[in-house]
Amino acid sequence: MFTYLLKRTVTLLLVFIGLAILIFIIARIVPGDPARIALGPLASAQQVEEMRQEMGLNDPFFVQLWNYLAGLVQGDLGKSLLTSRPVIDDILGALPATFELVLFTVFLQITLSIPLGVLAAVYRDSWVDNFTRIISLIGVVTPGFVLAIILQLLASYQFSFFPVTGRVDPGLNFEPDITRLILIDSLIKGRSDVFIDAFSHIFLPSIALAAAGIGQVMRITRSAMIEVSRFDFIEASRAYGIPERVVTFGYMLRIASVAPLTILGLEFASLIGNAFVVEFVFSWPGIASYGVRTILQKDLNAVIGVVLVSGIFFVFANLFIDILLGIIDPRHRIREGSSK
Amino acid sequence: MQENILEVRDLNISFSNYGKTSKVLRNVNLNVLRGERVSLIGQSGSGKTVTMRTIIGTLPTPPAIIESGEILYERKNLLALNRIERNKIKGSGISIILQDPLLSFNPVLTILRQMEDIIKYSDVRRGLSRGHKERKELICETLAKVQLFDNERILDSYPIMLSGGMRQRVLIGMALLNQPKLLIADEPGTALDVTTQKEILDLLNMLVANEGLSLLFITHNLGVVREMADRIYVMQSGKIVETNHRENIFNTPQDPYTISLMESVPPLYGKKVIDVKNSNPIPDEMIKISNLTKSFPVRTGFLNRITSENHAVKSINLSINDGDIFGIAGESGSGKTTIAKILVGLHQPSAGQIRINKSNLEQLVELKDYRKLIQIVYQNPGSSLNRKRTIAQILSVPLKFSDYTDKMIKDRTNELLNMVDLPISYSSMYPHELSGGQKQRVAIARALSLKPKIIVLDEPTSALDVLVQGTVIDLLQRLKKELGLTYIFISHDLSLMRNFCNKIAIMFKGEICESGETKDIFSNPKHLYTKALISSIPVISDLEESLKPKVTDEERSMVLQNTRKI
Amino acid sequence: MTQPSGQELNSERDLGQQRSLTSGQMAWFRFRSNPSSIIGAFIVLSVIFLAIFAPLIAPSPQSAGSFVDFINRHSPPSKDFWFGTDNVGRDIFSRVIFGYRVSLGLVIGVLGFAVPFGVFLGLLAGYFGNWTEFVIMRFTDIMLAIPPLAMALAITAVLSPNLINAMIAITMLWWTWHTRLIYRIVKAQMNEDYVEAAKVSGASHFHIMFRELLPNCVSAISVKISLDAGFVILFGAALSFLGLGVQPPTPDLGTMVSTGSEYLPEYWWEALMPGLAILYAILGFNLLGDGLRDMMDVEV
Repeated sequence: MFTYLLKRTVTLLLVFIGLAILIFIIARIVPGDPARIALGPLASAQQVEEMRQEMGLNDPFFVQLWNYLAGLVQGDLGKSLLTSRPVIDDILGALPATFELVLFTVFLQITLSIPLGVLAAVYRDSWVDNFTRIISLIGVVTPGFVLAIILQLLASYQFSFFPVTGRVDPGLNFEPDITRLILIDSLIKGRSDVFIDAFSHIFLPSIALAAAGIGQVMRITRSAMIEVSRFDFIEASRAYGIPERVVTFGYMLRIASVAPLTILGLEFASLIGNAFVVEFVFSWPGIASYGVRTILQKDLNAVIGVVLVSGIFFVFANLFIDILLGIIDPRHRIREGSSK
Repeated sequence: MQENILEVRDLNISFSNYGKTSKVLRNVNLNVLRGERVSLIGQSGSGKTVTMRTIIGTLPTPPAIIESGEILYERKNLLALNRIERNKIKGSGISIILQDPLLSFNPVLTILRQMEDIIKYSDVRRGLSRGHKERKELICETLAKVQLFDNERILDSYPIMLSGGMRQRVLIGMALLNQPKLLIADEPGTALDVTTQKEILDLLNMLVANEGLSLLFITHNLGVVREMADRIYVMQSGKIVETNHRENIFNTPQDPYTISLMESVPPLYGKKVIDVKNSNPIPDEMIKISNLTKSFPVRTGFLNRITSENHAVKSINLSINDGDIFGIAGESGSGKTTIAKILVGLHQPSAGQIRINKSNLEQLVELKDYRKLIQIVYQNPGSSLNRKRTIAQILSVPLKFSDYTDKMIKDRTNELLNMVDLPISYSSMYPHELSGGQKQRVAIARALSLKPKIIVLDEPTSALDVLVQGTVIDLLQRLKKELGLTYIFISHDLSLMRNFCNKIAIMFKGEICESGETKDIFSNPKHLYTKALISSIPVISDLEESLKPKVTDEERSMVLQNTRKI
Repeated sequence: MTQPSGQELNSERDLGQQRSLTSGQMAWFRFRSNPSSIIGAFIVLSVIFLAIFAPLIAPSPQSAGSFVDFINRHSPPSKDFWFGTDNVGRDIFSRVIFGYRVSLGLVIGVLGFAVPFGVFLGLLAGYFGNWTEFVIMRFTDIMLAIPPLAMALAITAVLSPNLINAMIAITMLWWTWHTRLIYRIVKAQMNEDYVEAAKVSGASHFHIMFRELLPNCVSAISVKISLDAGFVILFGAALSFLGLGVQPPTPDLGTMVSTGSEYLPEYWWEALMPGLAILYAILGFNLLGDGLRDMMDVEV
């Protein structure tokens, strides 16, 4: 298990370093002078030149790359060209809200889609299967922003319990200072009013964000379950008298869950990307809103920072899933860890 | 009069697929007496597995439809029971051993957990409650019955960590856990090498006798049936065509299908054996292999460092003459396929030398004309023919990359189809439209397309049904005679090699332990492994059995200890 | 053992065919017995039809441009304006039809580059293995870690937002999925003996990659393209929705949703109708892709 984890960690670390370098290269080859953007169109050529010097833009490429990577290790993502504050501070301020939204979304995806997928497989070709199929299709084909708008419409006409903007009612006067996640902190502090309010805020954006994944993971779970059900050992287990309930949930689901979990990991980047739109619609005070704002204003350092932080998200999510897969299916770690 | 433990009466089953219904079992009648060993023999698709599944209650309905019939187990009709009553019999009354020992395990649970689960849920059904310790004791006792003693290690292992023979033993143990009265075995040991298979079959026979079990043994192999059955049912396309006691089936088969099955098994000893000779009176040396070694690096650990070398073949010396059918025999992992791949230039040897027609292989491989010297036919035509290309396209590849024009390619393709007895109209078909035997003919035609002198045949018949095997072997013999070819025939099927090869080399763990004229090797094997190998081959007559070399169980297990990977 | 006569050969062939219909028949049966694939094909054809003949079909072709009709602004869906009108009185239905032109143009532009490129890299990585595989697959791994929408936003923002740049941005990210798919298939195919048989026959790398391996990827690619088409439309719409895709007055579905959402909830049709139009197109491509997948029995 140790070798397996080490291997996976190093691979993902390499992915991250590669990402950092790639982003840096892209940022340097795009047209537009960062110094000019920072100073605005009215600055003189000399001012721009001084700014370039200060920002290190006149150094050789590899020196710039090295300085940038060295800064990255210390958590220095440079200064925002527009707010003049360190990018890392801006991002850390917006991060918990996004983290909470994404976490809750993944939670919804797993708890809704895997059981429904299992149901669809168990009652294959029945009305249950067709019903879940339609649900999943709706989830997959509805664009996140369209769903977000539909949900907002519904909320404003029908379900006024769900607020359509923000993260929590500021009137409740709640400071999430433990985990910085309101849902969890309110539970720790025993503030049920805050928890309910925060839940009502996060529910609609999460649904809008989760829908596509729910649909996809549901179908994948279904087909994985059906595939596993054809394995010889399932037939053998039944013949040895293992109850159907244990065969389905203990044996089949365990193996069948590998495929949906892998997909969740792979699609994690897309999830963060889609969070951009959903946060935008619901005015969620997260990193995505910040990202869209900085992108619109061509704030290059901030954009790089946002993409890199998303990359870290991706890397950790996948590491977590790798650990999970190593536990679920010992063949993963046996294969990767030992000879051949 | 002994009593029936199992009786199948007038079973009719059909399958509905894509709106089409086809009958798979027609009026199947079958019974097993208490303590009796019964065999059901048939080729793939004959309906024997469907019969088994119906008995154990795992036949998926739909697509299967049980039209009529009864299955009586201890006088209760299983097909009429409700689910709870049915489940009570599962695992305790009737138990099964499936064909593939790896696929029959849950890959993500340890052996201990799997075996414990079986006991646990059978206890639940019977209202018992045994603790973890008692369960483990029972498991260890059962493992001892199947002659496994390294319990701690085995129980903590996952299935892929065990060797094939061990898995098969554990699997038999699992089937025994709930003290069944009737054991149904679906081709056990088929996926294993003959020497291991022999051990497993002996073990099964011993268990059936000691525990007083009844056995329903399902197989396609006549030789195995002879050792495993008191009574035999022969099945062909969903029908029982003949049933009788073992002696009667083997000595006086009645049904034409049974007779053709018997004739399709190549004889190992006796008058029917064909002694093959090289057709050239004074053959020249064609291939000379000296000191050939091929090793593959073994990478381990975090950095994928090469920590050791795995010798696929070691210090091989062989001499193959013009016009030989040279057999290379051995079990899986013995290195025989590695030699084939080196000969056709797919692997580079690590050390040693190969000379073909007095030129070095290394230089020959660089030449384009090398393809015109040596070609290969693979085991499974389903894999060696690209299913997205037509027969004509498949046959044209070697020609296209030689100096043939389009017109010449077309002529040659037709000529080739002719040579392998396939109609020219097949050239526009795709492989899946052909049967297994026809596909292998196409593969042979492709190998012949550049008029090579040598053809490596890598188990060319083992993916085919026995009845088809014969026709492919006939074709190979005719082509050899007509075209003056030299064959290198790689196989694990020694009975076939006895009648097809004039020379043979026996491989064992990457080395050649014995080689020479086929006749001599079989009449007077010198190496202990050769003896163990030949004596493990299931044969279909007492005469052959008596002429096989004698190997004690001790000697056999000595050989196996040496091969078994832990 | 005798020579097999013609009759024997035929019976041998029957043996193989008895149990199954030909694969073509099975495929057609699967497609036909699956009503959703028929619906999918119908929707896709209708979208393509509307896009091609937009100027002839649209009740108010001038609405596609910067046409203004203040008298009829914010009219709800009615007999005259099926989908209602927008904030300057343009017919939303006409704009949707023209919007499909933009959407399909985007699909063709993106997939036209991303698919061949992705497939080629996948073939290279799967066929050659070793360091080729390492470089290509690690590079796609890196690309997968980038949130696609964020990346596309960044690219279009820097390059100035318009249809072409949106296309470039999406293409830059899209090929990775095809590379992964083809890589996986080729890797599996490499275990088949026909690849080795082709090598022994003296075939060139080019021949093996494009004549032997590629045909085995075609069904998976076509399913993937059908599913992709829907998602490219979605992706492009999301970009426009954030203001970084197609710019007004070009009628683009995403932009229309975005503008319309400013008038929510009173003038709900202005955002909802274009939104549903996007949904309709994506639904069609998805159903078709699913149907093709069942028909050709491939994993994508």
